[in-house]
Amino acid sequence: MAEILIQVIIAFLAGSLLLGLHRKVMARVQKRPGPPIVQQLIHSLKFFFKETAFPKTVSKVFYIGIVFILALIWVVGVIVGPVAKDSLLILFGVYAVYKIVEHNSGSSSGSPYGKLSCVRAVLSAATELPLFAAIVFVYLVTGTMNIGEIITYQSVHGPLIYSIPLAALMFFMLIITKSPYSPFAITKDKVLISGFETEHFGFLRGFMLFSEAIAWYVLLWVFLTIFFGPLNAVGYLIGMIVISFVTGFINATTPLLSPNHSVMTQITIGAICFAGTALMIFTGVVA
Amino acid sequence: MLNYMIYLITFAAGSILGLLYSYKQHGEPFVAVTKFNVPFALVSIVGWVLGFCSGNVILSAIGFLLAGFVMGERPGYGRKETAVGLIIAIIVYVLLKRPLLM
Repeated sequence: MAEILIQVIIAFLAGSLLLGLHRKVMARVQKRPGPPIVQQLIHSLKFFFKETAFPKTVSKVFYIGIVFILALIWVVGVIVGPVAKDSLLILFGVYAVYKIVEHNSGSSSGSPYGKLSCVRAVLSAATELPLFAAIVFVYLVTGTMNIGEIITYQSVHGPLIYSIPLAALMFFMLIITKSPYSPFAITKDKVLISGFETEHFGFLRGFMLFSEAIAWYVLLWVFLTIFFGPLNAVGYLIGMIVISFVTGFINATTPLLSPNHSVMTQITIGAICFAGTALMIFTGVVA
Repeated sequence: MLNYMIYLITFAAGSILGLLYSYKQHGEPFVAVTKFNVPFALVSIVGWVLGFCSGNVILSAIGFLLAGFVMGERPGYGRKETAVGLIIAIIVYVLLKRPLLM
């Protein structure tokens, strides 16, 4: 229990600081000074002490409950990933539920912005296909879904990034999709204000930011763990900083795609990577 | 994992304190500072060296607090000092061959 609490606090703090770094990188690329790196963390904490208002149009139980479910599913992500090093399939389930929560969070608000974001959340589920394909390829190569056993496999055979790089690219695309201001972030298009988060204020928004920080940490942790082999704390630190830096640069220089372009791009990249990895595996390039 | 949690908490606390302190010192609109602040550079060097190379949880925590204090200053301040601190910490690590982040 103490281990879970410690890991959740680490995920929240590290995730918030990394998202702060992401914002800073984006700002510097766009020649703005940008906020301090710790600003994202301060923002998240600030919302817990802000006044919470409930719009008249909301479905109240659902509207409040959904943010706790959102926080809970990413806490489960921490438990399955960094704490227990359990099955990748459960993490896939966590991501799938996250998409449902994104959808329901928008629909429960009663706001047209939230509802449009809710519709787009269904479209953006296209990212789950490359994620599932990446997990399947990891299974085909290592023979296991268990993260602990995948780490052991890599300590013997070397990091999977060398044997199935296109599968890693598919997973990386998911990370880009999940990153703030991503070209694929159609649910949070500025046309929709803040998308499914628009009508959540005060401590409810605090929980959402808490979940986002944990989600970012968990996704980076899983990516580094299943493709870059056994890493120590410094390896994770450097890896997470580099990925936040790279995604920040990509997001700062790429415009937001329209929903249909976003989905088509994701599916096209996913299909190419899927075909490439399948070819590598079945022609014996990957042992 | 408890030690990493402590490092993160002290680093975040240091950053917040640094931000508050620097806003108190410099209330003007954003300026890209070219001046090198020697006392803050010393704090940064001590912080990063202690943080990465001390091999002791308490000293590392104090180190990350100090490093966070300089790095967390308001935009435009503390960048060069942080870079110098980090570079010297890496050099000290290479020379001492001490394990990183005990």
